[in-house]
Amino acid sequence: MSEGNKNAAQRSIVYCRARITKDEPLRYISHLDYASLMQRAIRRAKIPAAYSEGFNPHMKMSFASALSVGVTSDAEYMDLELSEMMAEDEIAECLRPALPNGVRLLGLRIMKGKPKALMALTDEAGYEILVPLRGAFPEAQAAIGAFNAAKECMYLRKTPKKTREIEVRQYICGEIQAEAAENDLLCIRMAIRITPGGSVKPQEILTLLCEKFGLPVRAETALIHRCGLFCGGKELLSAGEVKP
Amino acid sequence: MVSLTPDLLQAVTKPARYTGNEWNSSGKRHEDVSCTFAFSMPDVYEVGMSNLGLKILYEILNRRVDTAAERVYAPWVDMEAEMRARSLPLFSLETRTPVREFDFLGFSLQYEMIYTNVLNMLDLAGISLWASERGEDETFVVGGGPCVYNVEPVADFFDLFVIGEGEEVLGELVSLFVAWKKEGRPGGRKEFLRRAAGISGIYVPSLYVPCYDVEGNFCGMERLDEAAPAVVYKRVIRDMDEAETMEQPVVPYIDIVHDRIMLELFRGCSRGCRFCQAGMAYRPVRERSKERLRSLARKMADATGYDEMSLTSLSSADYSCLDGLVDDLMEDFAGEQVSFSLPSLRIDSFSIGLADRMQQVRKSGLTFAPEAGTQRMRDVINKGVTEENLMRAVSAAFEKGWKSVKLYFMLGLPTETDEDIIGIAKLAKKVVDRYQEIKGKRGAKVTISVSCFVPKAFTPFQWAPQDSLAEFERKQRLLKDNIRDRSIQFNYHDARVSRLEGVLARGDRRLSKVVFEAWKRGAKFDGWSDQFHEEYWLDAFEALGVVPEYYNGRERGQEERFPWEHTSPGVSRAFLWTERERSRRGELTPDCRRGRCTGCAVCPTLDVRVIDREAGK
Repeated sequence: MSEGNKNAAQRSIVYCRARITKDEPLRYISHLDYASLMQRAIRRAKIPAAYSEGFNPHMKMSFASALSVGVTSDAEYMDLELSEMMAEDEIAECLRPALPNGVRLLGLRIMKGKPKALMALTDEAGYEILVPLRGAFPEAQAAIGAFNAAKECMYLRKTPKKTREIEVRQYICGEIQAEAAENDLLCIRMAIRITPGGSVKPQEILTLLCEKFGLPVRAETALIHRCGLFCGGKELLSAGEVKP
Repeated sequence: MVSLTPDLLQAVTKPARYTGNEWNSSGKRHEDVSCTFAFSMPDVYEVGMSNLGLKILYEILNRRVDTAAERVYAPWVDMEAEMRARSLPLFSLETRTPVREFDFLGFSLQYEMIYTNVLNMLDLAGISLWASERGEDETFVVGGGPCVYNVEPVADFFDLFVIGEGEEVLGELVSLFVAWKKEGRPGGRKEFLRRAAGISGIYVPSLYVPCYDVEGNFCGMERLDEAAPAVVYKRVIRDMDEAETMEQPVVPYIDIVHDRIMLELFRGCSRGCRFCQAGMAYRPVRERSKERLRSLARKMADATGYDEMSLTSLSSADYSCLDGLVDDLMEDFAGEQVSFSLPSLRIDSFSIGLADRMQQVRKSGLTFAPEAGTQRMRDVINKGVTEENLMRAVSAAFEKGWKSVKLYFMLGLPTETDEDIIGIAKLAKKVVDRYQEIKGKRGAKVTISVSCFVPKAFTPFQWAPQDSLAEFERKQRLLKDNIRDRSIQFNYHDARVSRLEGVLARGDRRLSKVVFEAWKRGAKFDGWSDQFHEEYWLDAFEALGVVPEYYNGRERGQEERFPWEHTSPGVSRAFLWTERERSRRGELTPDCRRGRCTGCAVCPTLDVRVIDREAGK
């Protein structure tokens, strides 16, 4: 029995993983605020969540990968510890009516034992970007083709604290895909590597495509959507379970 | 519907201030209702969403099938700039409907320094700023909240005001509107306002014209219509248990100022602090029963998922069944990880014991309001607290493990001397020393937060002059020079803001032009220190030849007519004058809720009574 499993058995902790969405109505909610709206939903649903000990008890909940303000998602994964056993169907049944408009429950599992942390499991994220095209489609294709052909590509990441240059081509799995969509929109798809050493945000790639490769769009008009999170190419809902 | 594009929302800070869709928010189709009502507090989302009154009224009005109530707050300066650049009108959060398409726009006026935001929001909405210029189809602009006890400085911008508690009267106003609309809007806008003036608690300023004598002093209100009562008395809820109230508050997605359930224990406070407008204006005390509160607490916790609940009131520790209520709530919510808080602590060890029980583990710091530094000064303001009370309370707190204490004081109270000011520093030092006596080591953190006194309408100090800017600043320096212990942190308010508040708090209708001119020059968010520009106001006063000291700087005579007395909370002028006289002599006036009636006249005037659950009153 692993260390994690032993503890879980002693404290009769149940581990539950859910795949949920962050839809259009919640696009502009930050990751932290998204976590607290889920905590309130879980409390309304009266699901027996476990809390930490100590001065300021908090719900034992964790997410796979923080999502930026302005990004929607079909692939938010959340691990929640329960203080008592509850059937998967029953949890889903209680949770669904307590979820605000903009969160849907896509899947839910009771895990076998304590799973590996979602954050550590996640190694790839898929994104789809829709952005109004301000030029001809072949022009966009050429810009993206040039990025794909590049061996490396430097991006100047500016945060309030510091500015540094990072090589971002390494974080793109394979090639970025582009196609023309309805209403003069450009649809861009990319798979981004999430590594212990770092990663890149889809908005950063888009900014780079505009600034360095002449992609004919305005990055600030883009709608970004996360379509998947993966671990070794597998969907996260069943990843990282401790083998019995 | 106003469309908010991604590039707009990405360009502003905290875009979720403008996107609505919160849990428990409403969203009725306007074609399904007869009345649409936009509620606003003219401040940013985080402040506006924390207002209890608006939460209650929003829910009550939305229970009516014929009414859609929505919310709108002041866009922060970055959003305002984007909206103006893109010609986007002010819109509601729920359905993003332009505010000018609503039948009513109701502003909660919580403090004077937010008046310019009202103008700014009307302007953004595309609604005529001056009520007299509004066309037949324009939105009715309604005001409510504590500022209605002298609303004259902004009277010209509003069609009507709700004086007092809104739970019942707002429904009456909506019903009147729906009926008038069904009749085909007879007599137009003017007739609707005439009819509204017939509802008890509704003040229609256009039916009154202020009169001034040859010297320019206010000398009374002329009524233009017999529908307008000579005095509009406040509306008051007789029984808080029976009144409709909030059960499913909107749960915001972003952190707001008071991000918790507010359980309102009672209304009113009759301790009779002489500087306190709320204490005079919200009388009498009416408590909810313990049973009702328990049931409301359960409903609200289940409906929101909040894990924090604040037991709110003007002086929560005065709730007669507080001990039992706290026991019951702790039992009801055992194992649910709900924390309770008491926002206003009384200065005694009973309060400390309670706070200790409620905050089992987290010792987040305690706040007390001695208000003044010497016993003489506290007697003048009828605070009814002694130094011994305070020392016992802080001793109890330190013994229970608290380390930080925050103390509130005021500078510039009537009859104040330098000794009273130095007394604040001495008192703070005694608190610091008491910690050392109890714990045997240093380590207390004492914060003294000192505001500048603003005399308010309908208080015993409504006749009093306010200190000048120079005097306030001298007193702040004097206090600062007398604080020598590094464990004491001294915070004080910007006296320029308090002086301006002093003008507006006891101003007359002639100030509407000043407010307008200040806004024209750029004034908005005047209550935010980083947004306040005194020069906009000084220029406005000068341009219009208005001398601000006339309003805030002079002692008013016993017989002087005041421009606020026609919107009354029911407290009599004679009582206020007697209290002023007693204050001069340092005489205390006891609380009337248990003891003898002190003759403020609120109960007989409004036909209400004190409801004290424990005393069975």
